[in-house]
Amino acid sequence: MDLEKLVYEKVTEEIEAKRRAGEKIPFHLHTPTTLIGLVEDFNISAKAKFKESSKAKEASPYAFCVDDSLKDMDGVFLRSNWQIQGFLAEQADAIEKRGSSFSLNAFELMLRQLEKLAPELHRVHFLRYLNSLYHDDYTAALENLHKYFDSSAGTEGLDVASPCVINNHGRFEVALLCQGMLHFHFGHPKQALEVLAEAVQVSQQHHNDSCLAYTLAAICNLLSEIGISSTSPLLRSSYSPIARMGTSFSVQQQLFVLLRGSLKRAESLKLKRLVASNHLTLAKFHLMHVQRPLLSFGPKALMKLKTCPINVCKELRLSSSLITEFGSENSVMTTDGAQSTAWLKNLQKPIGSSVFLEETISGNRPYASSFFAQPSSIPGSVLQHIGSLQLVRATAWEIYGSAPLARINTLAFANCFADHSSSADAALAYGKLIVYLATYKGYKAAFAALKIAEDRFLSVSKSQMLTVKLQLLHEHALHRGQLKVAQQVSNELGVMASPVTGVDMDLKTEASLRHARTLLAAKQFSKAAAVAHSLFCMCYKFNLHVHNASVLLLLAEIHKKSGNAVLGLPYALASLSFCQSLNLDLLKASATLTLAELWLCLGTNHAKRALALIHSALPMILGHGGLELRARACIAEAKCYLSDPSFSVSKDPEMVLDSLRQATEELQLLEYHELAAEAFYLMAITYDKLGRFEEREEAAASFRSHIKALGNPQDEVNHEPM
Amino acid sequence: MKLSREKRKRHTSMESDDGGQQVVPFQLQFDRPLPSQIKIAEWNPEKDLLAMVSEDSKVMLHRFNWQRLWTISPGKSVTSICWRPDGKALAVGLEEGTVLLHDVENGKLLRSLKFHTAAVVCLNWEEDLQSQKNGCDNNLSFEDRTPHFLPPAPRAPRMPGLVSGDAGFTDDGQDSFVEFSNSSHRRFNILCSGDRDGTLLFSIFGIFPIGKINIHLCKIPYMVEDRQTRCKLLNSSIAKVALSKDLCHLTVTCYGELVEDETELGDEQMVGHNMHGLHCLMLDTSIFQKRKNELHQVAQQASNIEELNEVVRASLSVMHKQWSDAMSTFHEKFNSLSNLIVGHGLDSSPQEEFLSLLGGARTSPPVHQFLVNSLGESPAAEIIAFRMGELRGLSRWRARYRGIGLDETLIDSAMEKAGMFLVQVDRFMRVLSSVVQLFSNFFSWLLKCIKLLMSEASDQPPIYNSELVIVFLKFLYDQDPVKQLLEASEADHCIEIDLETTQRIKELIQFGGFSDAKYLQRTLAKEFLQLELSFKEAVGMPFSTISKKIVCEDLLPLSPLTSALPSHVPISVSYYEDTSSIISSGESERNLLIDYISFQIPDESLDIGNCIVILRGLMNAPGSRSRGENSLEAILLCIPDGYYCVDLSLYKESQIVLLLNERRDASESSGDACLMILQATELAFSHISRSSRLNDWEVLQLKDSVVRLEMANEKARSIPHSVVSPLAVSASRGVACVFAAKKRAIVYILDEDEEEEASDAE
Repeated sequence: MDLEKLVYEKVTEEIEAKRRAGEKIPFHLHTPTTLIGLVEDFNISAKAKFKESSKAKEASPYAFCVDDSLKDMDGVFLRSNWQIQGFLAEQADAIEKRGSSFSLNAFELMLRQLEKLAPELHRVHFLRYLNSLYHDDYTAALENLHKYFDSSAGTEGLDVASPCVINNHGRFEVALLCQGMLHFHFGHPKQALEVLAEAVQVSQQHHNDSCLAYTLAAICNLLSEIGISSTSPLLRSSYSPIARMGTSFSVQQQLFVLLRGSLKRAESLKLKRLVASNHLTLAKFHLMHVQRPLLSFGPKALMKLKTCPINVCKELRLSSSLITEFGSENSVMTTDGAQSTAWLKNLQKPIGSSVFLEETISGNRPYASSFFAQPSSIPGSVLQHIGSLQLVRATAWEIYGSAPLARINTLAFANCFADHSSSADAALAYGKLIVYLATYKGYKAAFAALKIAEDRFLSVSKSQMLTVKLQLLHEHALHRGQLKVAQQVSNELGVMASPVTGVDMDLKTEASLRHARTLLAAKQFSKAAAVAHSLFCMCYKFNLHVHNASVLLLLAEIHKKSGNAVLGLPYALASLSFCQSLNLDLLKASATLTLAELWLCLGTNHAKRALALIHSALPMILGHGGLELRARACIAEAKCYLSDPSFSVSKDPEMVLDSLRQATEELQLLEYHELAAEAFYLMAITYDKLGRFEEREEAAASFRSHIKALGNPQDEVNHEPM
Repeated sequence: MKLSREKRKRHTSMESDDGGQQVVPFQLQFDRPLPSQIKIAEWNPEKDLLAMVSEDSKVMLHRFNWQRLWTISPGKSVTSICWRPDGKALAVGLEEGTVLLHDVENGKLLRSLKFHTAAVVCLNWEEDLQSQKNGCDNNLSFEDRTPHFLPPAPRAPRMPGLVSGDAGFTDDGQDSFVEFSNSSHRRFNILCSGDRDGTLLFSIFGIFPIGKINIHLCKIPYMVEDRQTRCKLLNSSIAKVALSKDLCHLTVTCYGELVEDETELGDEQMVGHNMHGLHCLMLDTSIFQKRKNELHQVAQQASNIEELNEVVRASLSVMHKQWSDAMSTFHEKFNSLSNLIVGHGLDSSPQEEFLSLLGGARTSPPVHQFLVNSLGESPAAEIIAFRMGELRGLSRWRARYRGIGLDETLIDSAMEKAGMFLVQVDRFMRVLSSVVQLFSNFFSWLLKCIKLLMSEASDQPPIYNSELVIVFLKFLYDQDPVKQLLEASEADHCIEIDLETTQRIKELIQFGGFSDAKYLQRTLAKEFLQLELSFKEAVGMPFSTISKKIVCEDLLPLSPLTSALPSHVPISVSYYEDTSSIISSGESERNLLIDYISFQIPDESLDIGNCIVILRGLMNAPGSRSRGENSLEAILLCIPDGYYCVDLSLYKESQIVLLLNERRDASESSGDACLMILQATELAFSHISRSSRLNDWEVLQLKDSVVRLEMANEKARSIPHSVVSPLAVSASRGVACVFAAKKRAIVYILDEDEEEEASDAE
């Protein structure tokens, strides 16, 4: 969502510049009567509208709230041009925050009215653009964007033209930038790149450095978000410095050079926000890519072909320093009026704080006295940036394998930044938390949480929530052996992705990964392997190495299940080496576990080796792995002991029983019948060997019940959680 | 190393010129004057370095060529020193119970650890020999992931404007500090320290306490008249401790009174007629060997967390100080404003007043500095959380880690606290940044006002936001939210949170959020306190579990004492690899160790004067005793007439170095001394039967078979000075340093083989 932020920032900045330039001129561009009339009109229209649909009112209490306050303050506020602009800026924030849940038509109506009354307020067009953008109305968005720049491109529409900021061409490159990002939003990377490349050219021609910096950052962002096929000539034509680098560099290296250049440019222009955002993109880059030296001399052995997690950490830290530096930014973007509107908002609430009315009603207001309860004075965009940084950090820890840190960072985001961030970010965070719950606490808690979250985020377009829900349902169905449901869900997931190449790569890989897993569960090994192979090819083509590691692991898993352990070994080893070079520690632990299981399949004389492998991965698995992984490791460990001829059960029964007990506890939380049955089976065998018959019978009964549940999954269909 | 050997050669050639007539056993390296008398001296195990403690408790480090590397004075009386097995750090035990760790390179203080309440009288630092040798168990020695993912841990910031004596050591020791944290964790080692009150403390890497045992409270199994009973040592004080190289056994020699502890009768009775004396305790510390990998892991994570806690605590207090300093400057300036308004001080020109007000604006540089400082804190919190997560992974491995007392629920709760702390840090950063923003905005406004008042033309008026000025005046002018968060004394202060946030936190619980919904109402300082507390609790479990597993397995009374506490009894304890004994089929890989204890019998006791005893095989005694075997052997050696023993030390390959002084009348001030080396394996040891009665000093059995040492028969060299203890012998370097009564240090080369090789090379 950074891109939208950027557009917004850019535009706000211009308006800011305009305003600052116009500061010396009093705000008498509009006659007060018009404005008061406007306000009244507002109220009438708003009232009428909201009466019509009380549901819409609930959907956007915020906008309504402001309207109400306007009514209350009738004739006191909203006299000046800049306050309307403040209002509009606030609405723009709200649109971004609330996404498509922001009522389209009501706001549109209001904007139209505004446009009619004050045609020189070009920003209205921009808001209309934003509104249609978030409601996925491509044509309207494009039209409004054009309108905005058409009407404001010349000097005539501005309150005052500042000669330094706005020259005659000043608008064109900004318009191109915005259009590029519009394309990006709608998932047209090719068009976006073309337009952005043009924007680069125009900015260079007009020496608009800051616009160039923003455009470069946008290109970087675009390139890092979409999947670039290694064979596509996408980059060659776009930007001259890259074209000059020639073909000797891989796409990743070109992107890296571009990123660095963009960062340098932003730094030299002292655009702190842009610098921070560039650092964030760099962090993402370091997270996923092995950094190869651009120039390599000497023996190749010196090259360390690994990702560099410390760099990620460093970039994130640099990026987070924005919170202390935003004040010194070159183009100060203080949103005047933001605080007062916040106060206005609070006027509605009995416990809100108030500055203006303090004397009259401050008596019974405990909250007003505390600084902590105040809306933060830090600009929203800064907080938003810090918030998304927090999420990137959480993702990084997910990839590197530190479950507690991933959880804590997500929680930190949800606690501190959720109210400032865009709804997409918030949905992402809540989705992460739900997935965490499902993998570490079981489905029950996860589905309960999902219900709450769905109510909140249902309206968000391209909803993260929907993906999460489908993921959960698929996982749940697989565990309980409901293969039909699983197939259906994985198909649904596949449909969600955009058909354009290179867009929604994550979703696409996820969907076909799940497809392969469903096939595997249905014991259609050759089909599953074929799907996994084609997925591997795609990931390879688009340089998605992190995904590659898990695809290889899946292939190893398929061969293991098909009883062809020897074939599985190379895949497991390949996956291990991928994990190692990408620092995917948790995935590496699970690859090690698969490797051990493969060894165990090859015969009992490999039990010692398998056990050693499991033990080497156990702290990682137990500490950071989900319930399923942990249970699998415990079962594998017990199996190793049981098949090791030098180990005697009667001597040390707890070694086996303890890990089996741990496994069954976890599997019952997951309702993973197949594995649970296996664990109980092993348990019963162990008890039998020990001569503890009562306990043996107990374990056998549990085994039977799990097998039964696996055999007729339709029994439980009516317990369907969602 | 090479250089020093060359130097040795030069010295040797010089000496042989004046010596000449016959082969003198030990070559004199040099003989140097000392500024003051030395009370403790230890050779570095890896390099030719000698650490000495003078009578006035200065610790000096000298090179082999007697060049002084550094001197430190800890300020308190030094009671013991000991090198880390890799020779890179020196542990210094102090009278008041602190153990200091110093860097060998520059003497900088690396850590200061207060585990004892009484004087630390002995230190012993041993590394696990086994892991070095067979290098196996690789799959179990997990690597620490932290340095892969996170930058090196930040260092505690120093309090500004605080110059203390100790600060000199810690000065820019960042590199060595970090290096210490990393390098010390490569090999598993244990520092064992004993204090005067009989408390023994074991700490992994010398920094992470893992076990504690008090020999007073120790129940000692003892056979009295064929009946197993338990004894206790009363009023004991530790003389020497030695941990075996496989970390399985600890030999403690101590002074004390042995009594039988008959708990059923409720009273303690004296076992023998007079069992006050020197005793030797054998403790079973095999838990360290058995759970080596687990302990290593836990210690590595936990000691790092502890360190980081230290860092966070320090930075919190520094931040608090800097903030309150900045605030007090600010308030100083602004209080005069209110006075001005109250008193209608029309006499003074407003411009002047405002100008002085503007001084308040100068608080911003320190404020900024402070922000930069506080930023250093965040990775610390993150690293704490990361390491805690690793620890949690270990704690879940119940089969292995429950045995050393790592408790999953405790670690879990500590993890939660770490998470909350991280969120709190986040919140704090936001509050801080917004406060700073408000301040700077306020100052811009002020500046503009002043410029207007002074009707000063300015081309670039400062930009300010009037709303933020209002917010500032309302919420910050007479309040200090940052201080509220930081101040430890206001830790119980409740932060007011708006309803929305409270609701959100409550909702998050369903999403797996922190179950303690009120945590944001706590201050940062309070949250940190809670984090520390729960971490201490979690780490306390392994500590107490391990402490319980260290048990006393045997006791051997060595020699009675007449005086309560003798001034100095030469004792030396060492472990050698038993090359002679048969390698039993089952344990072929394990190197059998045999323990040697040598000590001088105090003159007045047992009617055996001027004798030293060498004991061996006590370690293997308890096991073999049950099988009816007895491996305990001893020999009584009588010092040649005319000499008395000043100090003795076990040297490599079962050799014993004796330092003897010539007996002279008091009138004659200086006599000669003698340095002697004995090969213990060549001596005729005799078995000692463990008596069934308690009131026996077993050494008495040897009374009739005293072996007399003759000067002429032994490898000895006379020293032309009267000498004093200590005798410092380095087994790895083959050198000995003796100290003459006339403040001289004399270094001899014991290892002639090496010397011969060297001369061959010439």
